[in-house]
Amino acid sequence: MAPVLCANCKTERALIKRPKNHAKLCKACFITVFEDEVHHTITSSQLFYPGEKVAIGASGGKDSTVLASVLKTLNERHGYGLELVLLSIDEGIKGYRDDSLETVKRNAVQYDMPLTVVGYDELYGWTMDQVVETIGKKGNCTYCGVFRRQALDRGAKMLGIKHVVTGHNADDVAETVLMNLLRGDLARLSRSTSIVTGDDQSEVKRSKPLKYSYEKEIVLYAHHKKLDYFSTECIYSPEAFRGSARGLIKQLERVRPTAILDIVRSGEDMARLVPGDSPSSCACKGQNTASSAPVEDDIGGCGSSSGRTPGNEMAAMDKQLRENEAHEELEIDVAKAMSERKLNGSEKQRDLPIRNGNSASKGVARQVRGNCKRCGYMSSQDICQACMLLEGLNKNRAQIQI
Amino acid sequence: MADFKSATAGSLTLTRPCVKCRAQEATLDSRSQAVCRDCFTKFISAKCIKQIGILGKETRPPPSTTNGPPTGTRRYLLGLSFGVSSTVLLHLLNDNVEFQLARGRSAPFELTVIHIDDTPDNQTDHDHPSPSSTAAASEIILAQYRARYPRFTFHSVPLSSALANDPLEPSSSSSSSSSSSLPPPPRLKEAAATTPTAAITMSNTMSTTTTAASRSDLERQLTRRALLAQARARRCQALLLGHSTTALAETALAEAAKGRGFAVPWLVGDGAAPSTSPPLEGGEEGAGGGGVNNEDAGAGVVLVYHPLRDALRKELVTYAGLVDPPLTDLIDGGVQDSKNGGSPRAAAGAAVVSHKDLSIEEVMRRYFAEVEENYPSVVANVARTTGKLVRAGEGAVDGERCGLCGMPLDKDGDERWRGELGIQERTGTGPGFGNRLCYGCERSTAG
Ligand SMILES: [Zn+2]
Ligand SMILES: [Zn+2]
Ligand SMILES: [Zn+2]
Ligand SMILES: [Zn+2]
Repeated sequence: MAPVLCANCKTERALIKRPKNHAKLCKACFITVFEDEVHHTITSSQLFYPGEKVAIGASGGKDSTVLASVLKTLNERHGYGLELVLLSIDEGIKGYRDDSLETVKRNAVQYDMPLTVVGYDELYGWTMDQVVETIGKKGNCTYCGVFRRQALDRGAKMLGIKHVVTGHNADDVAETVLMNLLRGDLARLSRSTSIVTGDDQSEVKRSKPLKYSYEKEIVLYAHHKKLDYFSTECIYSPEAFRGSARGLIKQLERVRPTAILDIVRSGEDMARLVPGDSPSSCACKGQNTASSAPVEDDIGGCGSSSGRTPGNEMAAMDKQLRENEAHEELEIDVAKAMSERKLNGSEKQRDLPIRNGNSASKGVARQVRGNCKRCGYMSSQDICQACMLLEGLNKNRAQIQI
Repeated sequence: MADFKSATAGSLTLTRPCVKCRAQEATLDSRSQAVCRDCFTKFISAKCIKQIGILGKETRPPPSTTNGPPTGTRRYLLGLSFGVSSTVLLHLLNDNVEFQLARGRSAPFELTVIHIDDTPDNQTDHDHPSPSSTAAASEIILAQYRARYPRFTFHSVPLSSALANDPLEPSSSSSSSSSSSLPPPPRLKEAAATTPTAAITMSNTMSTTTTAASRSDLERQLTRRALLAQARARRCQALLLGHSTTALAETALAEAAKGRGFAVPWLVGDGAAPSTSPPLEGGEEGAGGGGVNNEDAGAGVVLVYHPLRDALRKELVTYAGLVDPPLTDLIDGGVQDSKNGGSPRAAAGAAVVSHKDLSIEEVMRRYFAEVEENYPSVVANVARTTGKLVRAGEGAVDGERCGLCGMPLDKDGDERWRGELGIQERTGTGPGFGNRLCYGCERSTAG
């Protein structure tokens, strides 16, 4: 058999079958095409402006390492004029971050980018180890998730930077779309697909330049570019709905490689169809810039984990829904079901809310935004989640000290 | 319905009384309750009747053609796949009619039952083994349905009718009773020659080179389109589909996984189908044959309803076995396979199948079989919430709907989309009609 030639340059031998569309490419073309696609996402979504100072949320993992590498390359190649810095969060879990922070420190040298490491203790007065000591193993992922969600923004604010980019990829977004469909959480569905979260009014804007990049291609890119990254897995298991969605996506991808991208597309489209949201064609008036959503998205990682063992969350929701049915509340909607569940405080949960309680605003995507009265962080409630959790923790600490 | 009154004696000796009637032995578990056979079948029946009642209010009898007072009865069309759900729906509809007639009332609706025969038309594909045997097989199954439900009329219609100018034209596998004064049916090849979409669609649908996922998707879209075309041509007010709660949840996620998120509210909710019949390709050439009939038929609004939307698939499987004689004799010609009648477990644990041979629908079916087993209310919730999404593009006219599936095109979505597949994206699609297909159909016609 004659060697297959690259579908792009048609001269080099094809060595890579793209996970995204099974196109056969040579190594150089794959790297170029991958970068070109991210460039396309950045320009068509108008993610940056010249001279903008942008913090890359860097964990040392493959996604954020590839993001840093690609942004550096594109910034130089296309003259974005960005001032790129690395921003890492240290949760304060002994041993957990040691290796990944070392990786980030090397990345900072390799990419010639300044690095700032911000600890949970600096941001919240608590390391995760201290949290676990206080509340035990169960439920600590709630804290980790809530704290982490805000940590990058707070860190950026400390540095006077208004834009944080994260390494969330297409698989993460697709997973979140399916998860929210499974949970019947339309409000969150409509928020989870935006490439940009936060807007001009929010202090820190967040975006996901790799939103359309396949995880497998990110791995390939890192491999072929010989990038220095640290493979970390979130040490906590994902909550049931996310875990379930993740497994489903892997199967779908095997049946049809484009499925991941197709789910992202569906998620974007369905987001515009959420009742209470602006209906598609009329409201956006040809406004093609990326739509934005409140910053409290919960995409990826253990950010949304409830810290319960897998299966429990689904079981709890099933039980709640069944009770609702039994009470002949035939018109319940999930937002209500979820918030009721939260109010009831299901088993093993402290009397602290698991998630942002904005699901109380039924199916409304863009809820009224405000700021936390305590810390000023953007929140749909008077007191933001982190401050709520901290209150509980600090009470606990006070008691122990007494 | 008639025979359970006699069986209520001796309730004192019951070991596990039914929680609903307390009069009979509980033999089944229904939504965590121990119930008897009669209460279970009544429960399923009631769920269906409730939806039929809602539909009945939406479909007041049509006015007479002479502008007089309304005279006719409601006219519905049922899509029959020979699977469990549509067979159970047929049975329940028949029960409903008999119940009304037994009370001296008139039949609440007229029902035409249509089976879409998706076996390849022998005119289109020489690569397939002679399909006449399979077409005949579906006729044999249909005869069994006719024998059991003589009240209704049954037709088998080829899938290719989805793209025909006149969906009522008789074809090889159809026993249609439509007027014989129509010109002879154009064979599919001729139809395909005048309609580029038809050509590409059919070749893709039937080709062995496309993936199972694309083939299955296109078959699904065309089946729906064919059923809607039948409903319009036969002047039915509503198309009834047998989807269970589970099937609707599967549909929502499968369509999302195929990039058809925009169409999900149209597919999962109840209500009017997109305004008129899907536009036929190449109006200038296609104007030749049978167009009049089609235009006529497209005038009416067709509602799409899922009367079994509140029953789980496993409940319908149970129900099919409880009916006397069991519907299982009828379903798929009495052949029980894991796909339609077997236990979800069996389906999920079925022999290893190559991923290339799996469709997105099959992946979802396996997935939801497990979720349904453990978390039935989560399944119901998926169906309920996705059905609440807003239907966009309601007023779309010809040219604003997909040339293949007939769904409104999502112009905003197309404009906003940043996730292009990159090179090799449209190698499978011909020029000139990419802009007429929706995202999902483009995906499936690309291979
Ligand atoms: Zn090349
Ligand atoms: Zn706060
Ligand atoms: Zn009973
Ligand atoms: Zn389409």
